[in-house]
Parts: sequence; structure tokens; C-alpha cells
Amino acid sequence: MYVAGVDAGSTTTKAVVLDENSHLVGKSLRATGANVTRASELAYEECLHASGIREREVSYVIGTGYGRYKIAFGDTQVTEISCHAKGAHFLFPKTRTLVDIGGQDTKAIKVSDKGEVLDFCMNDKCAAGTGRFLENAATVLDLELDDIGPVSLRSENPLRITNVCTVFVESEIISHLARGQVVEDILRGVHSAIGARTIALVRRVGIEPEVTFTGGVSRNVGMVRTLEERFGVPINVSDLSQYMGCLGAGLFALERAQGASPRRVKRVEAGGS
Amino acid sequence: MELKHKDAGKVVQRELMASYYGDLEDGEGPVAYLFVPGNVVEILRPFGFRTVYPEINALQCGIKRVAGENILKAEDMGYSADVCGYVKNDVGICLAGGSTPLGRIPKPDLLVCNFSGCNTFIKWFEALADLYDAPMFLLDVPYLRDEASYQQDIEYVTQQLWDLVAYCEDMTGTTFDEAKLRETLEYSRQAEDLWTQLLSRARLRPSPFDAYFEAVFFMAPINVLRGTTDCIDYYKVVIEEMEERSRAHVGPVPQEKFRVVYEGPPCWPHFRAFWELFKAWGVVGVASTYSKVGGLFETGIRHDPARPMESIAEYVINCYTNWNLKKRSELLQQYIEEFEADALIIHSVKSCRSFSVGQADFREVFSHELGIPTLMIESDLADPRYFSQAQLKNRVDAFFESLEHQRIVRGS
Amino acid sequence: MQQTDHLSSVRELAQDVSFSAVARWKEETGGKAIGHFPVFAPQEIIRAAGMLPVGVMGAWGLLEVDYADSRVQSFVCSVARTTLELGLTGRLKELDGMVFTDICDVARNLSGVWKRNFPEMLVEYLHLPQNVTSAASVVYLERELERFKGKLEDLSGVKVGEDSLWEGIEVYNHQRELLQRIYRIRRESPWLLPADEAYLLGRAAAQMPVEDHVSLLERSIAEIEARTVKSRDNIRVLLLGPFCEQPPLELLRIVEESGCYVVDDELLQTYRWYTSAVPTNGNPLRSLAESYIERARLSSVRYQVRRRREAIVEWLKEARAEGVLFCSAKFCEPALYDYVLYKEALEAESVPYLHLEFEEKMSAFETVRMQVETFVESILFA
Repeated sequence: MYVAGVDAGSTTTKAVVLDENSHLVGKSLRATGANVTRASELAYEECLHASGIREREVSYVIGTGYGRYKIAFGDTQVTEISCHAKGAHFLFPKTRTLVDIGGQDTKAIKVSDKGEVLDFCMNDKCAAGTGRFLENAATVLDLELDDIGPVSLRSENPLRITNVCTVFVESEIISHLARGQVVEDILRGVHSAIGARTIALVRRVGIEPEVTFTGGVSRNVGMVRTLEERFGVPINVSDLSQYMGCLGAGLFALERAQGASPRRVKRVEAGGS
Repeated sequence: MELKHKDAGKVVQRELMASYYGDLEDGEGPVAYLFVPGNVVEILRPFGFRTVYPEINALQCGIKRVAGENILKAEDMGYSADVCGYVKNDVGICLAGGSTPLGRIPKPDLLVCNFSGCNTFIKWFEALADLYDAPMFLLDVPYLRDEASYQQDIEYVTQQLWDLVAYCEDMTGTTFDEAKLRETLEYSRQAEDLWTQLLSRARLRPSPFDAYFEAVFFMAPINVLRGTTDCIDYYKVVIEEMEERSRAHVGPVPQEKFRVVYEGPPCWPHFRAFWELFKAWGVVGVASTYSKVGGLFETGIRHDPARPMESIAEYVINCYTNWNLKKRSELLQQYIEEFEADALIIHSVKSCRSFSVGQADFREVFSHELGIPTLMIESDLADPRYFSQAQLKNRVDAFFESLEHQRIVRGS
Repeated sequence: MQQTDHLSSVRELAQDVSFSAVARWKEETGGKAIGHFPVFAPQEIIRAAGMLPVGVMGAWGLLEVDYADSRVQSFVCSVARTTLELGLTGRLKELDGMVFTDICDVARNLSGVWKRNFPEMLVEYLHLPQNVTSAASVVYLERELERFKGKLEDLSGVKVGEDSLWEGIEVYNHQRELLQRIYRIRRESPWLLPADEAYLLGRAAAQMPVEDHVSLLERSIAEIEARTVKSRDNIRVLLLGPFCEQPPLELLRIVEESGCYVVDDELLQTYRWYTSAVPTNGNPLRSLAESYIERARLSSVRYQVRRRREAIVEWLKEARAEGVLFCSAKFCEPALYDYVLYKEALEAESVPYLHLEFEEKMSAFETVRMQVETFVESILFA
């Protein structure tokens, strides 16, 4: 028996197929583009192909991510927060705190020993402390986003960036540059500012080891280092980080396929009435 | 010329505040928390209360640069980035078991919520009541609306003051000593006379002191020690110091170039840097509204032993932020005229909506209707994170550059 | 189908930011209209003076803010901003007056801004007692209401008689009773009446004479009670927040679509202030003043002696709610302070809760949906 999880995210759509022993059979990833429904279909097809199985062999599919209701072939939907918790628990079973930093938002999730969401917290609409903050800093400094993490690690005299606003930080960086500060030190300061903001959010759900870090920003080594320093514990980062959501969805699908049903029924579909 | 009284106000105040905080740490007697604007300390002193002013603690923590840490503690507990930094600083102190660089702040036995001009004060003490599990007496202070409502407001507050007396008698088991109240009120009155006299010296050219950046420092005793002889003596010392400065033609800047009126609280966590922005241009504050949050004594408001409760009620209602915007705006205009100011500086702070909302209308009134050069800048009074030095410097420089240019053009 | 038409006309009226119904009423009756900011308004007195109370509570996210941004700093809530925008763009020109009460620092100062910008209007600020234990409070409030009545009399040139005050009290008592019936439906069979519809029915009061609103509620209640809708196994929640700033309808809809039933809330406070009927004997203003002190609902912006943590736990039990959605408007200080008190209380009782931040004009509904769904999942999968 096989199950699948599909994560229709805002930039990329991911899919995984698992077997009845929760083993990862295949995975796929593609840009979401303008048509979420089409992207999820294609991602799913590619995943089936990579897994070497046919669609009718899959007993249950769960969709997650912001486009979860656009996944026409899915049996049901679960939010990415629940799925991330489940996925993180699968990859790092001792995960109790999960930090997810994406381009637009940051999430802190408290996870139970069974991978359930105990509490969660998101940043407010302000982009301070998210990946966007790093992107702006990279733009002002005329660097590639992927380079700023490694560059920041070369800092010898980290600066203190006081501003947390993504808009104001630009003028602060410019004034540091005008004063002749080196890029490495400024960047370390920027990472540190996000670290402070992140830890403030995570403290709201409580910090309990082990800590697992996911989301696009988890690929930034500077950020991983900063968070490890701030949290005072090593942090789990997986190569499968991007698949965390659909892995969780797949695991939920497996539970459903094996007969577990939640206490209650499906909710109304988005946009419907 | 050698100044005999140089920094006398600073030195004496340091001693007074050290002894005040020392008494909070080791002294005896029940502890009441109250707010600076419209505080009713004269009623509490006869009962032997030691009084804590959380705003003063917040201000001091700001200057001593620990407000940031305190604020983070409160935010960890769930307080939003968008609420008043003073409140969060105070919650932070509570979470730290009262420990501050000023000394250990004792827990309250009573919270007297005199919320003159600030509804956030109610939410603040509601939070403390919960955190400390302490009783709260809410002294309802109506906002100053118009002449038609003034009398009913005075009567309402007066009756509540008697309620407070009864509450304190009950709580402490002591009978209210009216003679002691009169004596306390007399001390308050004398200090208020001297404080008013001191501030009026900013009329001189050059002004011997900065009526914003220095006045907000000189105001500590009138806010914390009112009703004591120490408070009276303090202002005598500062007046002497200022007299001497005047004789020596010494002021807060080497050469007074611009005289301005300040509206709004200062930025405590970056106090020096904030002041420097103006000092660099030879700017002297000749009047400020923030130094009046503890009472608008220059309007003739006084504590009065001959009319104890009524005079307290008048005082409570007439604190700057409890005045309606029209009266606030008229007061600013009066300051500009009386103190011969060249400009109005509005410092809008996120933490205090009570001060800030309506300030943009002041800007309209002064710059468009009255033709007074007006600068409006933003940061915060408590939260070090809302201070963008580069941006502020740009605005301040541009403003005074243009004032200077106008002067040259006009040939004055 | 008929029901949908009915609702859409209610919606059209409630969301009319040009206030044309007010203009029509004035033309038909020759009366004056008095606007009021949310949370509390002395509607009984306004009506007794022959005037129309008009709820001005922001602009449903329908306005592009052009003027108010230069008057209201970035750290101030939307409802202050968009209400001012309504005024500055001439949409409130039909109002002869505007009343504010002491709900927060922003609203208080907004009254002063209003006075300066709209000198042709009667702008009143009422200080309502925050001290609810002093014997002086009722006396004080009675005088404050008397003062307000005097201002209306000056405006109309006509004395307000006791009879018309009693009439006002009675009709508003009736309106509140009907609203309580709406809320009883939500508590007992929430599947019959979605939260956004219930809110619209109440909010319609802002722009119509109370008698018309009473008949709207009567008709609607009959129709709702006759509905046959299957119940879903949703989670019963309390929707808390001061709601001076009004939530987008979409937010209310998403909360229920995501698997919750809102069985009670803090919406429409102006129309639900008194928890039981204002007594109709003695002196009318005294009766209103006493009721303000003794029959007031739990509110973020009025001090009450009882600790909030106790009040909230009791409310949860009463409403048989399983969780709490706490909604705060961006930058709303009273809400954000209460949130911490509620949070502590709910954690102590192990009641699941979720904090959502909203704005009058918001677009991040997908984030809201995800958060509410996760909240529901965390209860379901536990």
C-alpha cells in the first residue's frame, strides 16, 4: 500500500510517496507558477514516476500548503503547520520545538512526543525577522541571497543592528557603509537581529530541545549558526527540509489509510459556502 | 569663571534618588504604586505609605539602558511589540523579581490607579494587579472637556478622594490625620512655587538651562518627592545653580542659536544621542510639555492646605495629557509667545498614544495657521528599537538648515 | 433564495459608506443625525431628542486612505484612521454631531481632532465612569448624561421630555432583547446562523432607526428559526476582542469554515452594552446611569473590579465553549493587554486558544485560515 502527500507552497510544489512502513519511496519538486492545480498535478505525476508506481496503487492523498484546496485529486487537506510538525517528528523524533522561517513568515511550533502541534505562533504581518529581511539586506549590499550566510560567518567585529523594520534597516545599513564598516560585520549584525526576533517568537511557545529548523532560510548557514548561538543548543537541519510539509501530509495520509480517523469530520472547502 | 554651584542640581538629585530607592529597598511601611500625572501622594503620605512610580522606574531603566531587556521579558510573556514600552518595562521588572539597577523595587500592597489623561494606565495596573495579586483602587479622573463639565468633575474626584481615605484607613488600620495632610500639602505648594519659578527662567536670553533635556531631569523630585521638605530644598539648590549660570552667561550650549518648544516625551534609551541632534545646531529648549505631565503649575494650579481635597482634585484633572487637544494646542502657542521661541519640535512616540494622537493636527495648526516652523519626528520613549538615528539626523539637520538659511536671507 | 436577497440588502445598507440611508431619513423626517464611535453610545437620549444615532465604526475596508494618513501616525489602529477618512472626504456631511466616549487614548484624542476638523458639528466627548464602586459614580454619570442631553437640546432648540426618554429606553430594551435571541440561537444551534450573517444583522443597526432594526430582527429571527440546516461537528469557540475596530466579514466566515462555531463573541458591543433591560421606573437618566454601572457587559475598555481571568473562565463555562479565538486589531492597545491576561487564565485551565491579529482592510486571509485550521487540527488530532 502506498500513500502520498502534496505540498502546494507559494513558490514551489512538492510531493512524496510513502509505503506502508513510512519509507520514502519517491519525491518531486517543481515551481508552483500561476496555476496551483496544474502544478500539484504535475508534481504528483512526477513523484509517481520517480517512485515507479501507478496512481491506482495509492490509497490516500493529503494536500497541504497554501494551495491545499486547489489539489483536486487529494482525499483531504491538513495545514502545513500540522504537517511540518509531523514531518519534523518523522525526521528528528526528538523534536519538541520547530522553527520555520520562510520568505514572508516565521512560525514557531511546539511539538509533542507524538508529533502533534501543542502550540504555534506566527509573526504578525510585518516582515521583520523573516527571509524578506535578509533579501532586503542582500539587495542593499549588492550580494546574492545565497552568499550572505557564508559571508556573515567571516565577521570579526559583529555590528549591532538596532532596527527591526525591513524598511528602516536599509537606511541603517547604508549609514553603516557610509561610516566605513565592513560588509561581513554588517551582515553578521543583520543575522543577529533576525535571530533576536526569531527567539522572541519562539519563546512564546517555549524553547525545549531538540530544536529543528525548516523553511527556505534554514539553508543559510549564517542563520543556522546564529540560532544555535541564541538557543544555546545544536539545531537539526535536514537536507529534506523542503519536503517537511509533504512528508507530514504523507504520514497523515498513512494514518487515515490505516483506519485512524480524527474525532470529527471535514471542514467546508475554502471559498465555498 | 569657576562656577561654585556647577552641577549642584545633578549631585543633590543623585543623593535624593539614591535615598528614595534605598528606602524602597530597606525602609518600612506599606507600599503603594501610583502614576506620576495626577498622583495623590499627599493623601498617602499621612498613612505612612512608601510610594513607587512605575513610570519613573521605566524612565530610569531607559536611561540606564536596561529597558530593552525588560521589554523583551514582557514580550516573551505575550505582550505585543505594539504596546507601550513603559508598561512592558514594568512587567519586565516584575518578572525579574523587582530587581533593577536602581535597587530592588518592592511589591505593591496597593495600586492607586490615578489614570489622569491615559487610559493605558488602567490596563497597566490591571496587569500588575494580576501579576502581584494586589488590590487596586481606581481613581476615576474625567478628561478635561469644557467649563460646563468642570464642576461636576471636581466634585466627582473629590468624593473619590474621600473614598480613598476610607479605603486607606481600612487597609492600614490608622485614622486619617488631616493636620498631617495639610502639612504635606503646604510642602507640595512650596515646591510647586519654586519649580514654576525655575522653569520661568528659561525666558532669559540665553536660557540658563534646556527646558526640555534638562527640565525632564530636574522634574524628578516634583514627580517623586512632592510633599516633603527635601523636594523644596532641591529646587532652591537648582535655582541657585541657574542664577549662577545666568550671571556667568553660561547655558546648555556654547551659543544659543535657536530657541524651541518641545512637545512630547524624550527618547530615554538614546537620551544623549537624541539631545546631540539638537545641540549640534545650538538649539535650546525654552519650554516643554513633557516636563508638565506631573502638573501644570504655571497655570496657577497648586496644592492648597486651605482647600485640601478640592485642590487635589483640581491638580489631578489639570495634568497636561488630561487636557483636551485644543487646550494643549493653546498652551503650546502660549509657550512659543512667552518664551520667544523660533520653532516647535514635536516628538511623536509610539508608546504613548495619549501624547501622540492629535500631534499631526498641532503641526497643521502651527505650521499652516500660525506660521511657526514646526518639525515632527518619531521614535519612542522606552523602546530602544524604534530609534533610527540616521533618519532623525536627516530631518533635524534639514529643518535647522532651512531655519538658518531663512535667517540669513532675512538678514537677522 | 429569498433569504439570500434579504441578506444582501441588509449588507448593502450596512456597508454603505456614503450613508445615504441617513440622508434619506433626514429628508423624510427633517430630524438631525448624531454619529457615534463604537463600544458605547447614549442612543436612548439621541433618539429621545428626535435624532438618529448613526454608528460610525470605520469603513469596512472599502476606502483608500488618502487624507487621514497625514493626521494619524502609522502606529494607530485602522478604525481611527478610516473613521477620520470618512469625515475628511465629506462622507459624514449628513451628521450634525459626533459622540466619543473614553474607550482608549486614541478615541479620546480623536474627539479633539474631530472638534478641530469639523467645527460645524456638535462634537461631544463623554467621560463614562471607570470607577464602578464609588457612590459618586452614578450621580456623576447622571450629570454627564444630563449635560449631553442639554447639548442636544441646544442643537435642536427643543426640550427633551421624560416621556420620550422612557420611550427611547423601552425601544432599545426591545432591540437588545431581540439581539439576545440572535445570540441564543448561536449558542444553542449555531449551524442555523453563520457568524458573519449574525454580525451583519446586528451591524445594520448603525444606519437605521431602531424601530426599523427591531422589525428587521423580528423578521429575521422567524426566518432563521424555521431553517433546516444540518449541524456539523465543529469546535465551539468564544470570539473575543474589544472589537471597537470591526472585523472583516471574511474573517468571521473563515473562522466557521475552518471548523469552528462562534457560540458567543464581543461584537456589536454598542448594541449589547446592557446585559439586562434598563429599568423603566424612577428617573430615566438615573436609570441609564445605574444600568451603565450595574448592567454593563464585560468590556476591555471599562474597568471592573473582578479579575478578567475569573470572568473569562466563567463565560467559557456558560457558553459551553471548547476554545477561544482572541482577535485583536493591529495596534489596539486595550486588546493586546487583555490578551496576556486571558492567555494566562486559559493556559491555567488548559483551554486551547488562538490569537489572531486583524485589520479593517486586510488581505492575509489565507494565513488566518491556516492558523484557524491548525488550531482546529490541534484539538481534533490530540
